[in-house]
Amino acid sequence: MSDVSAEAMAGAEPGKPTIFFDGVSSRRHRVTLTLGDALVIGEEGEAPIRWAYADIRRADSPAGILRLACTSAPPLARLEIRDASLAAELTARCLLLDEHQTTRRGVAKIVGWSLAAAVSIVCVVLFGVPLAADRLAPLVPKPVERRIGDAAEVQMKTIFGRGTCDDVAGQAAFAKLVNRLRDVAGLDESMTAAVLPASVPNAFALPGGKVFLLKGLLDKAESPDEIAGILAHELGHLKHHDNMRGLIYNGGTSFLIGLLFGDVTGSSAVIFASRSVVEASYSRDAETNADTFAIETMHALGRSPKPAAELMFRITGKEGGSGFTILASHPLTEDRLARMTKEDRPASGPPLLTDAEWKALKGICGGSGKI
Amino acid sequence: MNDLQWAPIGPPQPIPPPLPPARVDFTGDRAEFRRMATKGAALELVTFGFYRFWLVTDIRRHLWSNTSIDGDAAEYTGRGKELLIGFLFALAILVPIYLAYFLVGIEFERWQGFASTPLFVSFYAFGQFAIYRARRYRLTRTVWRGVRFWMDGSGWAYSVRAMLWGLLVPLTLGLALPWREAALERYKMQHTHYGDLSGDFEGDGWEFFKRGWWLWLLTPIALVIFPLAPFLYAEFKAREWRWWLAGIRIGGVSLSSNLPHDAFYGLYWKVIGWWMLLSTLFGFYLAGATVLVVKLSGLPVDKALGPDGPAKNIPMLVMMVIGYFALALAINIVMRVYLQRDLWAKVLETVEVHDIAAAADVRGSGELASALGEGFADGLDVAGF
Repeated sequence: MSDVSAEAMAGAEPGKPTIFFDGVSSRRHRVTLTLGDALVIGEEGEAPIRWAYADIRRADSPAGILRLACTSAPPLARLEIRDASLAAELTARCLLLDEHQTTRRGVAKIVGWSLAAAVSIVCVVLFGVPLAADRLAPLVPKPVERRIGDAAEVQMKTIFGRGTCDDVAGQAAFAKLVNRLRDVAGLDESMTAAVLPASVPNAFALPGGKVFLLKGLLDKAESPDEIAGILAHELGHLKHHDNMRGLIYNGGTSFLIGLLFGDVTGSSAVIFASRSVVEASYSRDAETNADTFAIETMHALGRSPKPAAELMFRITGKEGGSGFTILASHPLTEDRLARMTKEDRPASGPPLLTDAEWKALKGICGGSGKI
Repeated sequence: MNDLQWAPIGPPQPIPPPLPPARVDFTGDRAEFRRMATKGAALELVTFGFYRFWLVTDIRRHLWSNTSIDGDAAEYTGRGKELLIGFLFALAILVPIYLAYFLVGIEFERWQGFASTPLFVSFYAFGQFAIYRARRYRLTRTVWRGVRFWMDGSGWAYSVRAMLWGLLVPLTLGLALPWREAALERYKMQHTHYGDLSGDFEGDGWEFFKRGWWLWLLTPIALVIFPLAPFLYAEFKAREWRWWLAGIRIGGVSLSSNLPHDAFYGLYWKVIGWWMLLSTLFGFYLAGATVLVVKLSGLPVDKALGPDGPAKNIPMLVMMVIGYFALALAINIVMRVYLQRDLWAKVLETVEVHDIAAAADVRGSGELASALGEGFADGLDVAGF
């Protein structure tokens, strides 16, 4: 060992030993370094180990320690130099020491690719998913749609109570109204409709051609045209496959927006907000289209679409000015009323129901048919 | 008793004095960590969150490499790219699972309304699996003295245990929690290895229960009186840490900690203080932005905020979004500095390692685990750090 002193040799000072871990066991080796044409790691009684300077890389270490790894050694072999001058001398010889670290260019690359990914995701959300939903929804096989509808129906009935309103005369009136609308709307026979005994004033369409009218809405209605307009709107949803489109669209956007934001702290709010805005605007479009369909259907029947909007307005009141309507899933009732008022025409067709039938329909859930 | 007197034969052997316990030191520079968290949070914003893989890696590298046990610092060898790839693979697997979940859910709903609700349990199970596998990833990237930690055992076996215990905890109103933690920790630690040393966990639920039962009694009160809750949580966390550290065994090596029960009071209150300060600032900013927009555009207030306000009023929308992001960024930094770095340092300065000599000559073994587990954890939002 004594004759290597000609080369730069250090690391032997007792205060700042150089420690070597061979990557095979956890034993601390106190070593001396020789900086020749390669780095030679020597230990008394052991064969020296050579590390080529070009293979030496920096590993993470606390301040004050230079920790090195070597690409041609076992991957976990580490050399720890605590002596500052020796560390400096060795660093000067290892030209590729920091070659593997993330550089500014590396970070720029990450930023660039992320932006590209974000832009592509946003484009897919704005253009791709609506297109896919529009194209795919009519292609969904009827049985699949029906199954989804069945599932939704079971849920609805769990919420609104089992059983439908089945007063015989009321049923007949309801069937007459629905059938007239259905024929004009051009929907096939597989469509079904029923009145549920719930006090919530609402109506909805489910996938697979099911329309439900809730008793609460019927109670608030003052003429057959009001109910007919609402039902025509729901038939519009069926005609346009809005349920399936919404399903595909919501599923797609949730997934993509989640992918985009991942789990940045507080991002759940971002995900929720952006999803709500995007989905609500899509749903508003669908509602507007269903309104258009309702207007056309009512015109074809020679009746005015305005009473339906008046019924809605009676229920919701003026909606504007109350908070953030960017999140609303439907257009504002007053806007819908304004639109339908514009489409108001004097009745040219016969009434959809006779007075007796209307009275029967109001009493479809049994009890007094309040008019 | 007599036997004992006869036991020593020949001259008494000199018993070597027990070695003093080894110290654990944390030498990380707080300002450096803060800079790293700030830069990382900014990059996270710019990259829509994709930078999180690299930030989380940088944080671990900093914490690991500044933690030295018996004079030798640990090292974290994981990389951000691995996490990104793991996340993408996890997504590829999760997407069909989500679809299947949806279809099975429909069949359940057809049979009975809301019958599919228990199906979310399958995601909880998957989350537990992900937690186990993510731990395995982190452990196999943890190196000390040139030898890595590693893990065997099965993520699903762990998940089943976590589920069954998870069922018991609400049934006992939380009383089973100490036993749940002990059982799960035992599973994790018994499948943890450092080279050819095997881990174990000797903490038992009863011991933990004895240290914290009165916290359980006070919990209903703390839920009503808000300022009590952070104190109670801090007490619980400190006791939990201390109990957990004392239970850890790796080969013959054991740990102990004298973490005081009130160690985390300051940390939690600082976070709450920052959070309140930042929210107040955000409130003022929003108010100011509204006033500014109203003044500049001449719109009445209810028009600016009401129907189609933000949608049509692009400047208002932009200012809101910028404000929100700034808030998220600041809170992000506060959480990382206090709840990761400071908590780490605070716990480590109380830790002592006993019989470290048992780890002086350990043969390296174990394979690297893939980052898929971390990807699942990320995708399911159950990631630890």
